[in-house]
Amino acid sequence: MGKLMPTFLSKVSLACAIGCMLFASTTFAITEKAQAKPLRIAVAANFAPALKILLDDMPNKEQFNLQIISAATGTLYLQIKHGAPFDLFLSADATRPELLEQAHLTLENSRKTYALGQIALWSATQPVSHLNALTHYAGKLAIANPETAPYGTAAQQALTYLSLWPKIKSNLITGININQTFQQVRSQAVPLGIVANSQLVMNKLSGVIIPTHYYQPITQQLVIIKSSRQVALAKKISDYILQTNSQAKLQSLGYLAVTSSNPLDEAKR
Amino acid sequence: MTDISADILALVTTLKMAAVTAVILLLIGTPLAWYLAKWQSRFKVFFEAIVALPLVLPPTVLGFYLLLAFSPTSLPGELWQSATGSQLAFSFSAIVIGSVLYSLPFVVQPLQKAFEQLGDHHLEAAAMLGAGPIDRFFSIVFPLTKASFITATVLGFAHTVGEFGVVLMIGGNIPGETRVLSIALFDHVEAFNYANAHILSAGLLIASLLLLSLVYLLGNNLNSNLNKKQRVTKL
Repeated sequence: MGKLMPTFLSKVSLACAIGCMLFASTTFAITEKAQAKPLRIAVAANFAPALKILLDDMPNKEQFNLQIISAATGTLYLQIKHGAPFDLFLSADATRPELLEQAHLTLENSRKTYALGQIALWSATQPVSHLNALTHYAGKLAIANPETAPYGTAAQQALTYLSLWPKIKSNLITGININQTFQQVRSQAVPLGIVANSQLVMNKLSGVIIPTHYYQPITQQLVIIKSSRQVALAKKISDYILQTNSQAKLQSLGYLAVTSSNPLDEAKR
Repeated sequence: MTDISADILALVTTLKMAAVTAVILLLIGTPLAWYLAKWQSRFKVFFEAIVALPLVLPPTVLGFYLLLAFSPTSLPGELWQSATGSQLAFSFSAIVIGSVLYSLPFVVQPLQKAFEQLGDHHLEAAAMLGAGPIDRFFSIVFPLTKASFITATVLGFAHTVGEFGVVLMIGGNIPGETRVLSIALFDHVEAFNYANAHILSAGLLIASLLLLSLVYLLGNNLNSNLNKKQRVTKL
């Protein structure tokens, strides 16, 4: 037995390994053939769920082969700068699309504001009904990193507006992005946090929405990448996201709609 | 529904990446380990340190440098493009190259240890009997170090399956091309799809456990078998 086992087992494992490789390569070849050239949409992680909901409602969506690629805005920006084969980029901020535009990596006039983010105060341990909960709060507060994450910058501005920033500054737990902050609060690791209102709405939770005049608007912009070979389709998707119905849908998901009367787009140019 | 087929595609990509990586690693890791085991020089430690670097370096560091190197505007990226006609960054080849570098110590170190422990007398005897280097390798070195070869292959394969940081940077998360299991899992967590995340996590956990158990089982069996043989030859 002791003598038989190793040769038998090694043969079996060799067979398994070869089987895996064959299976992998054949399946890969099949899946590659079956699909038309995809349109790749690079989207900031916090907007990915909302984008999926929007695209699910899109008429004739079966005609298109859309691939959603989500990562942190900063990672996607770095990858686009180094030649990532993306067609459309939905950023969580306005800075990165502007930088790409300045580097001549985007299609002219394709930069548009597609959503305005909203922030909210929320706790998973106790109900929060008013921003007053912050006034005498001495525990840890979770916000996204104000240096790198737009939702974190907004949180810092709101806390500054409330004259709480100097006091609360040393009690902050900062997440690398707003998703991490949401997870920290949701897992009750941090008792209180400032998260995106869209995260609360999409997870059927509720917090205290922070008035929008407490912070600079969280402008989320999109751009079409210059190297795209499917500009027409990319434009179609961009138009679809910006049209009134989609914007109304975004509003129901916890974003502020970008209306035609909204001067932000023009002011930014 | 679509999520499950996307995950299966990610699984297939992962297995393909790990299998190709393991084969390449065996081909370049074996001679490298042999030279490191037999080389007598004070510069040896420097090369050993280079091989071990991926063990201590954050994968994002390696990923960041590789991203710069693979970019179409950099020299290696340009050379690749003119040689193959396709872009290196964000391709399947890119994540395989990244994985080969990242999993290198997991293949080289066990092989180097095994070659070092292998005494010279068997090889010298075989050489005196007229066996050439390739014959000596396949009829003496390989049978005696089989357990280490299996360990090295499985560790190289398994470590590549578990890779995240490098692929995240240089892969670009493209379905069917560079989206691997660990990144699909990260996406599910980011999107709060905890059900899908649980399926993938549990799957990866169980598969890794089985794979590693198999390595140790094979290792133990081969070793006890080898010891028995050696005892017989002593008698």
